[in-house]
Amino acid sequence: MNSLEAVAINAAAFVITLALFGVYVATLGHNPLDVYYVLWLGSFARQISVESTLTNAAPLMLTALCTAIPARAGLLVIGGEGALVVGGVATVLAGVLVAGAPFLLGVAVMSLAGALAGGLWIAFAGALRQYRGVNETISTLLLNYIAIAVMYHLITGPMRDWERVLKTSSWSIPDELRVGALPVIDVHWGLAAGVTVCLILYVVMRRTTFGFGVDVLGGNPRAAQMAGLPINRLVLICCFMGGAAAGLAGAFEVTAVHGFASESLVVGFGYAGILVAFLSRQNPAAIIFLAIILGGVAASGGLLQRRFDLPDATTQVLQGLLFMIVLASNAAYGRLNVFQPAAWRTA
Amino acid sequence: MNMVSQLAVEAPPSVSINALTKRFGALTALDDVSMEIQPGAFHALLGENGAGKSTLVKCLMGTYRADAGQVLIDGREARVASPRDAQRLGLGMVYQHFTLVPSMSVAENLVQGEPGLGAVIDWPARRERLTAFMADMPFRLELDRQVSTLSAGEKQKLEILKQLHLGSRFLVLDEPTSVLTPDEADQILGLMHQLTDAGQISVVLISHKLREVEAYADEVTVLRQGRLAGRGKVASLSRADMVRMMVGEDQLAASAPREAQSPGEPLLSVRGLSVEDDKGIPAVQDLTLDVRAGEIVGIAGVSGNGQTEFVEVLAGQRAESAGHVEAGGRRYDKTRAEMRALGIKLLPEAPLDNACVRGMSVAENLSLRSYDTEPMARGGIWLNRAEMRKRAAGLIARFHIKTQGPDAPIETLSGGNVQRTVLARELSERARILIVQNPCFGLDLKAVAEIRRQIVDARNGGTAVLLISEDLDEILELADRILVMSDGRIVYETPRAEADLQEIGHHMAHHEV
Amino acid sequence: MEGTELGWWGVLIAVIGGAIRVSTPYLFVSLGETLTEKSGRVNLGLEGVLVMGAMSGYATAVLTGQPWLGVLVAGCAGALLSLVHALVCSLPRVNDIAVGIALFIFGTGLAFFLGKPFINPSAPRLPDLDLGWWSDSPHVQSALQISPLFLFGFALALFLAWALKNMRWGLVLRTVGDSSEAAQALGYNITLVRIAGTVTGGFLAGVGGSYLSLYFPGTWNEGLSSGQGLMAVALVIFARWDPVRCFYASLLFGGATALGPALQSAGVTANYYLYGAAPYFLTLAVLIYSASPQRALEGAPGEVSISR
Repeated sequence: MNSLEAVAINAAAFVITLALFGVYVATLGHNPLDVYYVLWLGSFARQISVESTLTNAAPLMLTALCTAIPARAGLLVIGGEGALVVGGVATVLAGVLVAGAPFLLGVAVMSLAGALAGGLWIAFAGALRQYRGVNETISTLLLNYIAIAVMYHLITGPMRDWERVLKTSSWSIPDELRVGALPVIDVHWGLAAGVTVCLILYVVMRRTTFGFGVDVLGGNPRAAQMAGLPINRLVLICCFMGGAAAGLAGAFEVTAVHGFASESLVVGFGYAGILVAFLSRQNPAAIIFLAIILGGVAASGGLLQRRFDLPDATTQVLQGLLFMIVLASNAAYGRLNVFQPAAWRTA
Repeated sequence: MNMVSQLAVEAPPSVSINALTKRFGALTALDDVSMEIQPGAFHALLGENGAGKSTLVKCLMGTYRADAGQVLIDGREARVASPRDAQRLGLGMVYQHFTLVPSMSVAENLVQGEPGLGAVIDWPARRERLTAFMADMPFRLELDRQVSTLSAGEKQKLEILKQLHLGSRFLVLDEPTSVLTPDEADQILGLMHQLTDAGQISVVLISHKLREVEAYADEVTVLRQGRLAGRGKVASLSRADMVRMMVGEDQLAASAPREAQSPGEPLLSVRGLSVEDDKGIPAVQDLTLDVRAGEIVGIAGVSGNGQTEFVEVLAGQRAESAGHVEAGGRRYDKTRAEMRALGIKLLPEAPLDNACVRGMSVAENLSLRSYDTEPMARGGIWLNRAEMRKRAAGLIARFHIKTQGPDAPIETLSGGNVQRTVLARELSERARILIVQNPCFGLDLKAVAEIRRQIVDARNGGTAVLLISEDLDEILELADRILVMSDGRIVYETPRAEADLQEIGHHMAHHEV
Repeated sequence: MEGTELGWWGVLIAVIGGAIRVSTPYLFVSLGETLTEKSGRVNLGLEGVLVMGAMSGYATAVLTGQPWLGVLVAGCAGALLSLVHALVCSLPRVNDIAVGIALFIFGTGLAFFLGKPFINPSAPRLPDLDLGWWSDSPHVQSALQISPLFLFGFALALFLAWALKNMRWGLVLRTVGDSSEAAQALGYNITLVRIAGTVTGGFLAGVGGSYLSLYFPGTWNEGLSSGQGLMAVALVIFARWDPVRCFYASLLFGGATALGPALQSAGVTANYYLYGAAPYFLTLAVLIYSASPQRALEGAPGEVSISR
């Protein structure tokens, strides 16, 4: 896949989305240029907006991997939202259990618990597909609803913190195990985790025999079978890695942002992650940049809504619109002769 | 046999094709070809793959629009812009691949496309008419059977019935016998011949089987590289004449020298194997065979008798429901480690779909078997793409693969070169067991000769070769031992020396006897 | 606690009544998806279409005071949204399942976006048919208060089952969905048939959405649908693409959805969220039951890619 071509087509998709949104805002009587300015202001113009953008980007990087890694093996997994929630709940449980442990050990245990829970959650969907033939797209979407229902069950009953009256939530993790901000910039450590995981998985997918095997499987499962690759194992590992990344996102939402599990975990990071994965064309390194851009859209959403009196769902509409246009732009790949070496054009 | 009432109503049209030319970009697929088909003729259109046969009929049927030339029907110039126009003019085509709807009944398939079919289908009246139509036909099918339960021969009959039912009196049959047993082929072509002799229909038969052309056609037109290479009455042409017209004066690679050798120990053994197809219906039943070192075991049979499912099991693409496969004396579980240790190689049919990754380059596809070994992987973990490319360049030269280079996507290669790529990959390392299915399907004669030579060379070198082919001629040319597969079972076995075409053909049709 | 006097009988009657009341959106969406999949495409975005239908139907009823007009507008909104899916999928190399996910996000987002002003005003509700007049029990009476839309959906299921076999468009639709080669040879316009199948399916899903907002529960808010549209898509697999089986399966799913509220009204309030998740668990169980690792799904249209 030609990366220059992908950048050009993605950029065009962004421009078209913004243009359509501008037209809509214009019909409401606002100046579209003002809208674009506010988008810029809320996302990258000032340090505080950049921090907000990066805080949003951190979980997006990890939930995007939940779709991107299984997609390389040929699966369309959209369970990032559920894996994040499950990971968050597991993190709270682990945090309460290891109360009193040294900081680094405690955080490591909590992160591992979150990643493990998310990983097993998505690996379950992978196993259903490999051993029962259950469509993984539908099953992971159902698992999202199930994860959310289970979380509500736990935070309204067995795990409820009855002391907190204003908000229904689970117990909190011990304060001394809360993760703080990075040096220099006021963004939590989840960002560093997200970037690191993306870079590691980029190397694994591009440079190792494991990644090559996964690409063979994703490109043509029949060829992978013929080459004797352990298909079920590859699928389960990819699903586990993707789910673990999303679970880790949940872990940092708990340890670094909220301190407990509540409905605040269900804010659509999982669904926006799907969009990031598709924009990146399953490339873990590209996910870093695209997550930052979409994080910027999310960060400026609030300002946009307040300034122009738009509903909360504005960001979701923008994301849905962009998603649709990006998918439609698939038809453009290979059509732009600029990006094709002359020799490979076939009649 | 009486077939007057319906078929006698209209006479077939006379069709003449006048200097048709069709270009695709820089490629001229059809160059100034003319052809004349009188009413009631049985005309064969002969040529190798890529000679322009299907381009010619697709221009005739309105699928393609010719760049120059015209089609005259009953002396008038006809504008055929779509298959529908062709149908209105009484031209019908029976495609190589079935165009029936598998989940529908015979009646539903026949009624489809009938002109004047109202918004609501009056089934009692339609069925009455279909029953009457069937009674007039040389072959019959039950109206209520679902198409997916029909045999290949029955489907082919239904395709022909459908065209006749739609009122086509000029039928183009595109390689109609490729999925039929010799007996079924003779039956269908014989019936078509009766109809042309009675002047009720005209037939254009696209084929590369000279035997069929000689037995049934009155006239023949031969195409080569998009040009008219010859024509004439079949009776006045010899087989050698027709071959020369098809391939020109080029010399073909001589058939491979077969070294006399007695086979060694069994390397590949199948024991009581049973397999189910996608619908859960038994496709292979209780199959047992041995392939020994230095022999080619050929499995003949009509397509759809379990061969594909059998090969899929050997390739690890399908699970066995009973029995097992042994390789090198041990149970074979189709893992990568076993494939490597035992040197098990495979060239399946449709290699682009079964053995290649479309999105990957030629070099990557050439490395599917070996990407995780030194020197292409350091420590079995880190890929060395430069090494991969270097090795690919060597194989491309050695196996004469025509490609823009090791980095070109495999999809940009022609069918024959994809076949060569897979063969290069499978034979580049020591192959002790080689499984090959329809290795020459759709290739031109030169490529065919080359690939067959490679297979015989492997055998001469002591490889155990299992050849599964629908092409009986190929089996007869290559195999040391010939097995016939029918209805998922091995029904006949004969050594090469005693092989008899008639006998084999009879056993291929085993299930219908 | 009105249910307690009847005990578990009360729960059973409430579940049956709830099944009838809750099943209608499942029924319409699954019939719509059946049509779409029979044409050879999967529209996974019907959840978004359902919510959009609910919003537009409610908004129309608020603005005009005509609930039936709302039903019509909801269908049209659903058809329009599905047209986007249909057109994007007609482009080369576009994966219909991915477009479905995009439509799911876009459709729900758009409905919340445009529907914000309609959360507070109340709309006139669709009328009931009282089929429980013969009984003295208020429980039976309330269980048998049935919406005309339910009966219409039932009739529609019967009609579609008949039409797919006996009407010309039924044959055309099935041909296009089962074998594009056959359709091409017959000269059918495959793209156009698939667009028609998807848009009609979207219309039905939109109508299903209006039932949610205009009849039961009869309000408009962002939590109105919780995956009914998605579950209906899974339900089509369970019903093996048969409209009449879609009807039975919808009743089953309706019953599962009604379980939580029925138990709650009987006084069982613990584990409310878990009972609420019953339909998701049921869907997953049904998928595991219907699928098979080796075989193609029985009755699946040949061109549909959902089985694997």
